Amino acid sequence: MFQIFAKNRMWRKQPLKHRYEVVIIGGGVHGLSTAYYLGKLGVTDVAVLDKGYLGGGASARTTAIIRSNYLTPEGIPFFNESVKLYEGLAKELNFNLLFNQMGRLDLGHTDSAVYGLRMRTEFNRILGVDSRLIGPKEIKKLVPSIDLREGKHFPILAALYHPPCGVIRHDAVVWGYGRGADRQGAELHPFTEVTGIDRTNGRVTGVETSQGLVKANTVISATAGWSSTIAKMVDLELPITTHALQAMVTEPLKPFLDKTISSANLHAYVYQTDRGEVVIGGGVDPYPSYSQRSTFQQMEELAANTLEMFPCLKNVNVLRQWAGLCDMTPDYAPILGPVDGIEGFILSCGWGSWGFKAAPVAGKRVAELIATGETPELIKPFSLSRFREGNLVNERAAAPAAAIH
Amino acid sequence: MAGDSHNQRLKPQPTELIDRNKSLEFQFDGRRVNAHQGDTVASALHAAGVAILSRGFKYHRPRGFLCGAGRCPNCLVNVDGVPNVRACTQQVRQAMNVRHQNAWPSLNLDFLSVLDRLQWLMPVGFYYKAFHRPKFLWGLAQRVIRRVGGLGSVDIDADPVTTYRHRYHHSDVAVVGGGPAGLAAALGAAEQGVGVTLIDDQPELGGHLLFNSKDFSGLPDLADGSGPEVASKLIQRVIESANIEVISGATVFAQYQDNLLTILHGDELVKVRAKSVVLATGTYEVPLQFQNNDLPGIMLTTAAQRLIHLYGVKPGNTVVVATVNDQAYQAALDLLNAGVEVAAVVDVRPTYSHGLEAATTLISRGVPLLTGHAITHATGKKRVRAVVVASVSPRSPDSPARRITCNLVCMAGGFQPANALLQHAGGSLDYDEKSGEGIPHDLPNGVYVAGEVTGVHDLATALLQGRLAGLEAARLVSGPGSNQEEIGRVRQRLNGLETEPGIIPSSPVSAPPVEAPTESRGKKNFVCFCEDVTVKDISQAIEEGFEDIQMLKRYSTATMGPCQGKMCLKALVGLCAQQTGRTIGDTGGTTARPPVQPVPLAALAGPSHMPVKRTPLDQNHRDLGASMVDLGPWQRAHSYGSPQEECLAVRQRVGIIDVTTLGKLEVTGRDAGALLDKVYTHHFSNLRVGRIRYGLLCSDNGTIMDDGTVTKLAEDRYFVTTTTGNVDLIEEWFNWWQAGTGSCAHVTNVTSAYAAVNVAGPRARDTLTKLTDVDLSAQSFRYMRSAQGAVAGVPAILLRIGFVGETGWEIHVPAEYGQHVWETIMEAGREFGIAPFGLEAQRILRLEKMHVIVGQDTDAASNPLDSGMDWVVRFDKEDFIGREGLKLASEQGPRNKLVGFIMQNWHVPEDGVPVVSGGKPIGKVTSARFSPTMNKGFGLAWVPAELAQDGTQISVLVNGVPQPAQVALQPFYDPEGELLRQ
Repeated sequence: MFQIFAKNRMWRKQPLKHRYEVVIIGGGVHGLSTAYYLGKLGVTDVAVLDKGYLGGGASARTTAIIRSNYLTPEGIPFFNESVKLYEGLAKELNFNLLFNQMGRLDLGHTDSAVYGLRMRTEFNRILGVDSRLIGPKEIKKLVPSIDLREGKHFPILAALYHPPCGVIRHDAVVWGYGRGADRQGAELHPFTEVTGIDRTNGRVTGVETSQGLVKANTVISATAGWSSTIAKMVDLELPITTHALQAMVTEPLKPFLDKTISSANLHAYVYQTDRGEVVIGGGVDPYPSYSQRSTFQQMEELAANTLEMFPCLKNVNVLRQWAGLCDMTPDYAPILGPVDGIEGFILSCGWGSWGFKAAPVAGKRVAELIATGETPELIKPFSLSRFREGNLVNERAAAPAAAIH
Repeated sequence: MAGDSHNQRLKPQPTELIDRNKSLEFQFDGRRVNAHQGDTVASALHAAGVAILSRGFKYHRPRGFLCGAGRCPNCLVNVDGVPNVRACTQQVRQAMNVRHQNAWPSLNLDFLSVLDRLQWLMPVGFYYKAFHRPKFLWGLAQRVIRRVGGLGSVDIDADPVTTYRHRYHHSDVAVVGGGPAGLAAALGAAEQGVGVTLIDDQPELGGHLLFNSKDFSGLPDLADGSGPEVASKLIQRVIESANIEVISGATVFAQYQDNLLTILHGDELVKVRAKSVVLATGTYEVPLQFQNNDLPGIMLTTAAQRLIHLYGVKPGNTVVVATVNDQAYQAALDLLNAGVEVAAVVDVRPTYSHGLEAATTLISRGVPLLTGHAITHATGKKRVRAVVVASVSPRSPDSPARRITCNLVCMAGGFQPANALLQHAGGSLDYDEKSGEGIPHDLPNGVYVAGEVTGVHDLATALLQGRLAGLEAARLVSGPGSNQEEIGRVRQRLNGLETEPGIIPSSPVSAPPVEAPTESRGKKNFVCFCEDVTVKDISQAIEEGFEDIQMLKRYSTATMGPCQGKMCLKALVGLCAQQTGRTIGDTGGTTARPPVQPVPLAALAGPSHMPVKRTPLDQNHRDLGASMVDLGPWQRAHSYGSPQEECLAVRQRVGIIDVTTLGKLEVTGRDAGALLDKVYTHHFSNLRVGRIRYGLLCSDNGTIMDDGTVTKLAEDRYFVTTTTGNVDLIEEWFNWWQAGTGSCAHVTNVTSAYAAVNVAGPRARDTLTKLTDVDLSAQSFRYMRSAQGAVAGVPAILLRIGFVGETGWEIHVPAEYGQHVWETIMEAGREFGIAPFGLEAQRILRLEKMHVIVGQDTDAASNPLDSGMDWVVRFDKEDFIGREGLKLASEQGPRNKLVGFIMQNWHVPEDGVPVVSGGKPIGKVTSARFSPTMNKGFGLAWVPAELAQDGTQISVLVNGVPQPAQVALQPFYDPEGELLRQ
């Protein structure tokens, strides 16, 4: 308890060395979690490089919903392990991540939407994930403020209720992993931009940075919306298009909603933070772009779609609107692991709108891959080669609000 | 406090906005409060002696009137059920009901203010370091935190109706800000003959001039007289200009790409698209930091000036004015003139600017000026009662602190340029050491700035800058060279302005921060009023390693509350720079994001735009008692009572279904066939006129996008149907592949032009023969053929197709005759026992035929080869969309296949359940129903390719229990399709 008065530095400031065993490009939640789990496996000669401040990219813009109610036999266990890791993470990192497992409802407004929800529910249950399909009566009990009137254009027919779903203080996860990685010996180097990747005989040998050349045996790209840019440095073209996802937040309100609510038909999701703000997120913009400027059209749509579910919020003020980049893959699943023909280069990308929730499992399993040289079973389905082999994962239906529409 | 119960209204002020002849009355927490027309809730409450307007977010400390301009969080109240209303900008309406927020039981006595005493337990980021061990503790703590969090409350039963509407507006030049620079810009642009829209957030134009009593004589041609006089002359010219449209009382809350300004104006949201934009948004004042700087009775100098000049309210009885700039001396004079006793002016600087007239006047009227001093702390419980002032001069560090009694403190903590819109537009800022402000550096194309937002605080400069910006903005509209000479003249004069006779050289009004006395670095010294973040919190956060301003913000939560940094960013950056030894420029800032001012969701949403589409037959379905379902934007009849009965009617007699919602495209032109060959997997250019072919569309990677029929009506004219939900997408898709090819094909969406019905069943021919001259006999009108002719006297396209597996025709007629045709067919079929059938019956019937519904039985990863539709993929075509993906798929062979199945017992699975093996999911059921024909559950499912054999046993989950089923590859009903051809 007394640690609340402690004033310990979160991480050390150190000079950048000329060589490391592992260089991680990207100091967001994925890069830092990978560094942390590498440390746990005894790989400590690690540098995490970021062009900006730590956690300043997608990790700063995420709406931080943690869940595992996915659709595919590949995706469900993967995200389920992540939820389990998140559940124990505060204790493990000795840092309260303000994880609130409030539960989530995915709304079905049409027969076909309910069909999709049922499919997810059934696949979740058989794979050990707590999900159930509930009707309007139970929805009303869980979310008294939702508009269940019949005869609306988007009537609420049913919902997929996923109790373990939670919301987390995203910055805290970044800092907690950062501190954990630092304590285990990894070095964190913000404001150190990677400008090139060196290769000899098809093997990665190091990175060029704004602070000079750094040699490394293994280079991990964990750069979220900038993965394609990093991949180009090794002449690799990824099956990724980058889209902005916009979100907004209202002024704080007294608690009225303690579930995450998502609607695929309305391309919107809504929850209330512990501080009382209502966070509203949407689908990714339908056109690819690296611009992180938000648009008014999306603000209008998000507002209208939110009011369709919660008309009681009509006079609630929006405080802030922002956009983050999502690297969308054709099958709405990540790309993890080594790349054929580029020895020592490891990808952790294609994180679309499902990246933050996977940070623990991806970090842990990629670390395992680097420490042992073996790709863990859990992440095998997410290899880059699946696109060549035609073994897509097809997780689209499970990124409902965020899908390109 | 003295005067708590007294009316603090001053004698009428020349510039006041209130109408003293019109009295209003409203309720504040049940107490009746008097006001005048034009009063804000806060000005009326202040006049009535109410000091506490709210309670702090975290510690529940009493908070009062602070900024007076709708920027800070201190006066958030609930007005007539609407939460988080800013009392200082909300005009009083008769009988409005104002209630406090975030305090219980009352503002004066708030039980949670005990948290203020426990502040030592809550250092910055304490919640990250507590409650997580043991795990259950967090669950408990979180419940408490959730209960005490938040500000206003929502009424979940509120009437959903709103009155907000949206309007579009186009303008050559948009000027944001109605102060002197904005007025000059509007005039400058308007005289060039371009259209100008001037938008100002205050009820009246004039900006700070309205309450600036300084004498501006001596600026010969620019301005003459007092602030209000200068303003009224400019305003007069603006009103007289035919080229200027003024939108007052309207907040520009964001600037988006390509000069889209979004404005909230009452209950109207205006979207202004301008060719060029002048931002003359001014500055706003920020608070100072000292112990207890948040007590009620401590406000900004500009807030006090607003109370006096705009509302005729006396801010307090005895004031201490604390400042870092010259501007506060004028405010002190204003207070003195309003009858407030000025106990002292405390200036942190060693001296005020040479020749400062207001200072001389203050001295002559006996006001003590304490330069080189600062307030270290304020005392008082529910209102400030005194302040302690100490020297900041390094030469006299030990000079004794002195206590000054007062019930009002006016703070001039410097100015923060209102540059949020500029940041939205993509402009960048540079920190200017001289003014202590971030000033515009890189301007985006088509954006100009003028006035105080550029860091100048001198009227002549502002006016000239405004004029220059207006001229330049107009030049962008009317082309280069149009007013080049005048632009040159103004620019030249602006450069030489300081040397003109009669101009008082402008002095820095906003000095860089001076290190405050160490005694004031306490834990009740607030930086961020929204989130209750103190100087000590900031300092500790930096010690913990949060040195970057963005991380400092995120860790301390400073700038993250309702004011979004308006009150605190300057102080936050100053403290961060000081402690980390960086310059303010290097420290940077946080990003301003839309909206500048909070905007209600209903205003953003506008009137609901969620249209429902009804077919021309909608009323007929409802009259027949149909249950309707939503399908995309459409409403369709689900069933008319019993889907099972409807199925039997189709199989045994004749049925009719409304298929108007099918997407319909006409593709015409010489190259129409070639376009269809390109987008579909099958051949269409070689189709003979009058023939129909099933069409399947794939995306680039070979997965199924949509399906439908393609009918060749003439050599250069095809009639294409798509699934109900996809028509817009498919229309775009066609046009996307057509664009730029130079070929001649036109795509017209005719979905709503036609009503369509499908008449199917053994007696369909008998029914329709009564209504048409078209020969419907099996020999003349064969399966997958079309004809055009009259049905029920109406020109129609007849397609002989069979989605439900019976002899039948899909009949398309002009939408306006839909009802007539439906009714006539119903009448004609009566003798044969015709029955309408709905969506559900159609789903069962087509399932018996194993006809796939795209999107139901297929998903984003399904391709035609795996879905049992390899017969529509023609690799003999040179190219079509998806060919490469399908080639790859055909080489690799399928992993999974879509097959039919029949249940081996009485169970009927639901759509979407898994196919299992050994407790693991190996496939999924996409459609399953009870077949009235077979008397069993059956359906379609994806299974591993090796199981896709006729007769293979599989297990399907029904209510969580695996049940046996058998794979079937042939349609369950009429496998050879003989009935279709009869």
